[in-house]
Amino acid sequence: MEITPELVKHVAQTARLNLKEEELKKYAAEMQEILNTFEKLSEVDTTGVEPSFHPIPIKNITRKDEPNDCLPREKILELTKHKTNEHFKGPKVL
Amino acid sequence: MNNFTTDVVIGLEIHVQLNTTTGLFCGCPIKPAEPNTATCPICLGHPGAKPLVNEKALEYGAKVALALGCKIAPTITFSRKTYFYPDLAKNFQITQFELPLGNNGHLVLDDGTIVRIERAHLEEDPGSIIRETESVLVDYNRSGVPLCEIVTGPDMHSPEQAREFMKKLLNILGYLGVYDPNTGIVKADANVSIKEKNYTRVEVKNITGFKEIERALQYEIQRQKSQDVKLETRGWDSEKGITHFMRNKETEADYGYIVEPDLPIFEISQDWIRSIQASIPELGEQRAARWVKDWKIDETDAKIIANNLDVADLFEKVAKKSKPIIVSRWFRRDILRQLNESKLELNDTKFNENNLAETINLVDTGGATQQVGSNIIQLLTLQDISPGDYVIETGLQQISDSNELKKLCVETITEHPKAVEDYKKGEENSLQFLVGQIMRKTKGTANAQKVKELFEGLLK
Amino acid sequence: MRISEFVEAAKKGNINIIEHTKKALKEAEKINEEYHYITAWADVEQQAEQLQKRQEEGNATGKLFGVLISVKDDMCVKGIESCASSAILKGYKPLFNATAVERCIREGAIILGKTVQDEFGFGTFGDKAGIGYKKPKNPVNKKHFPGGSSSGAGGLTKLADFPHLSLAESTGGSTAAPASFCGVIGITPTYGRVSRYGLIDYANSMDKICTMARTVEDAALLLEIISGQDEHDSTSAPEKVPQLTDIPANVNGIKIGIIKEAFEGADNHVRKQVLDAVYQLEQKGARKIEISLPITMKYGLAAYYVLAMCEASTNLAKYCGMRYGQHEKLSGNYNEYFSRVRTQYFGEEVKRRILLGTFARMAGYRDAFYTKAAQVRTKIIEEYNNVFSQVDVIITPTMPITAPTAEEVKKLTPLQHYLMDVITAPINLAGLPHINVPCGQHNEMPIGMLITGKHFAEAKIIQVAKAVENNE
Repeated sequence: MEITPELVKHVAQTARLNLKEEELKKYAAEMQEILNTFEKLSEVDTTGVEPSFHPIPIKNITRKDEPNDCLPREKILELTKHKTNEHFKGPKVL
Repeated sequence: MNNFTTDVVIGLEIHVQLNTTTGLFCGCPIKPAEPNTATCPICLGHPGAKPLVNEKALEYGAKVALALGCKIAPTITFSRKTYFYPDLAKNFQITQFELPLGNNGHLVLDDGTIVRIERAHLEEDPGSIIRETESVLVDYNRSGVPLCEIVTGPDMHSPEQAREFMKKLLNILGYLGVYDPNTGIVKADANVSIKEKNYTRVEVKNITGFKEIERALQYEIQRQKSQDVKLETRGWDSEKGITHFMRNKETEADYGYIVEPDLPIFEISQDWIRSIQASIPELGEQRAARWVKDWKIDETDAKIIANNLDVADLFEKVAKKSKPIIVSRWFRRDILRQLNESKLELNDTKFNENNLAETINLVDTGGATQQVGSNIIQLLTLQDISPGDYVIETGLQQISDSNELKKLCVETITEHPKAVEDYKKGEENSLQFLVGQIMRKTKGTANAQKVKELFEGLLK
Repeated sequence: MRISEFVEAAKKGNINIIEHTKKALKEAEKINEEYHYITAWADVEQQAEQLQKRQEEGNATGKLFGVLISVKDDMCVKGIESCASSAILKGYKPLFNATAVERCIREGAIILGKTVQDEFGFGTFGDKAGIGYKKPKNPVNKKHFPGGSSSGAGGLTKLADFPHLSLAESTGGSTAAPASFCGVIGITPTYGRVSRYGLIDYANSMDKICTMARTVEDAALLLEIISGQDEHDSTSAPEKVPQLTDIPANVNGIKIGIIKEAFEGADNHVRKQVLDAVYQLEQKGARKIEISLPITMKYGLAAYYVLAMCEASTNLAKYCGMRYGQHEKLSGNYNEYFSRVRTQYFGEEVKRRILLGTFARMAGYRDAFYTKAAQVRTKIIEEYNNVFSQVDVIITPTMPITAPTAEEVKKLTPLQHYLMDVITAPINLAGLPHINVPCGQHNEMPIGMLITGKHFAEAKIIQVAKAVENNE
């Protein structure tokens, strides 16, 4: 598998990162080396092996459908500069 | 490659808001509130907060899946679907991907078309956005509201079928009690393609309600017939009645699904499935079919009455106190009309099985006329009166006394010689007119059948 | 003085909490000026005043009464800037306490402040705190790094002479590494033993809140307090928490598993001193058994990094300059604005891991990386489970080297950097409890021994660690 600067650019865009040409090249080379090591995982025979998404089995933990207290609006809006009295403000959408 | 043959191919993805008390992953109450006053660290995606699955949402989702004939997976997981948008508090949505709650169900349309339900799963709603010129305003109250997404196979072939599917689905959801038609939102995305354009698939997003789906699809099919069709995502603009370009399929986000590591897996036991199954009431279609079979009720009447769970329940209770066929006609003709005209929910009216059965039986046994019965039903929307007492107190008992009626008929014949003339010439309508005159004189209390017979005798 | 002795004295009023705390704060400030361990200070004096008042009212309760606790920057402390040492979270003051922090406060602890870390936990040496953060220094020799990612926790624990405990955190070795490089005790519990509520996520299926102290007993005390199921974290374990304090240092009959490959990869002086310490345990009645973990040792690191990066890249999506933390002037569309903020405020290593993690879960690559790594994880857990049917604990060096200098770190490629976690990463991937105990020095830099137990066997590793502690 070849990690090209173009591929890194696509990945970076997906992750909302702007990378300059030289950064793309640098990351591509590093990622190539790292992913070559990661790719060795394919040597392990995992036929019929279930994936583990946690180190210990964790099952069926739920919460009752009962309301909690909510946060006061002024507290949550205090955390951001981008706001009106009632709303969060964000960048425009297309 | 597809192997479609029909002119039009339609598949739907429908999002239904489940009417739990709190969010899918947090305890914020779900009810209309001032912007950003119903939030917590979980639904705002604050660093360090962890989602917690609402057991009710899981139950409701399973109810929907089972009612649509889905298999419930023995193990289910939640997944992260990562994409960036200002209304998405974590920039990922917790949904189900690898192991959804239900799969492989179906819903049958009236013409016998089987619409496959590929999957039914749970996911959280994002917040809501108000667009301004240079920015957006976001309210995160909706963030985390539980949705059930239902994905059909590409099995519908006309906008009408899509509409029927949606209608049937809404009927089922209403019966299950997992969806509130007054406050809940049902949104559909439709995948539509036509034979003429080699089934190039277009997704139309954001269609609300079953009437809209027919409109949107009708528009989109016409558009595809008259334009070049590209693989793309379009949006439905209900106001303008058009679909508009949103994005190319090539620029679709790569969601990079992973299993949600903050949540456990859910092992679904057969016992749990049985208990959910047991809580599902007999659904509308099954009910209507049973009435037709057991009570010989007209099929259309049965379907219409069975449409709403509360109405259907009340109908069954009244039917048991009277003659089902007669009751079904009253429901279809008067009770549903009153609900429609008054815009009231059944629970907001004073209708109950006793007052309705009494009214219907009163008319059936000749104690009041059809018209007086209709008037009483109108009154019952707002006040719980005793129909029997009412007709006595207001003197609206049916007049069936032949002598009294005969006197009135003779009077009427002399008052309307023209109508009498016409009747004798064979004008059937004239007879109706004459009967109507008697009804007016008696404020609707005359036994119309008897009056008719009297006129026929007198004018022979 | 043991922490429990200090607590008894403080409760009785033999110690003036206010004066004691002021003095300790001065000392901490002095350490910080030189070594850069603290990123934000809590209102320490106000907390001390409240405790003093409680003491005077005869209401002095709690197992940590008057003890200063430092908290790794990735744990939420209400009202105190909590940034996981990332510039992108600058200014974020949580509206709630992490459960671990809350449990300490309930036991009468005084929160000292937040300790510096590698940005979001992405580092082994402590050289990768976010943009604008001063680099922390090794407490033994300032030319060296202190280890990471819980760098400040390790360094402060080593240098603070006042009664102090530290809440650290490990995803792939972030407690063991700095504990080893700084020469302190660091306990990483079983995954799920301590609630992660309020922990700023690195990789949720591996993150564990840990404890650091100068003695095994003190680290065990703090762990005992913060352990136990929590309704705010679905992945916290329902298992009953056993007593972790006052465990006798007894290794008679204990079966110690030794992984050959783990020693072969270590520097000579590290290998020798850890083996010397094992030999001393054998003299006390422990039995050494050679064990083999072929898949774990060969593929554990890769499986760990793939899963950790996949999870991390989704966790970091939410940092976009909108709802909290760093803000820029709103301009451009959402893609442009989010990209601008993220590019400007994430450090280089964070970007690298986001790229790798995003790639490894992309359609077309996900099966070969993400899913495959999760399957390999199953095999690794099985391998460990098998081994733990033969042995009580596994002993390895914690790190293959002693704390490196800046020049030494500079020479490493990112991959070589990652390879330093070859021992700690698989253990963390499998969620096994482990403890670092200092067991010697080389050129004055500390060497650490790692004792690993099976799931929920914290008491066993503490027991063995105490025996190692007594070796010296």
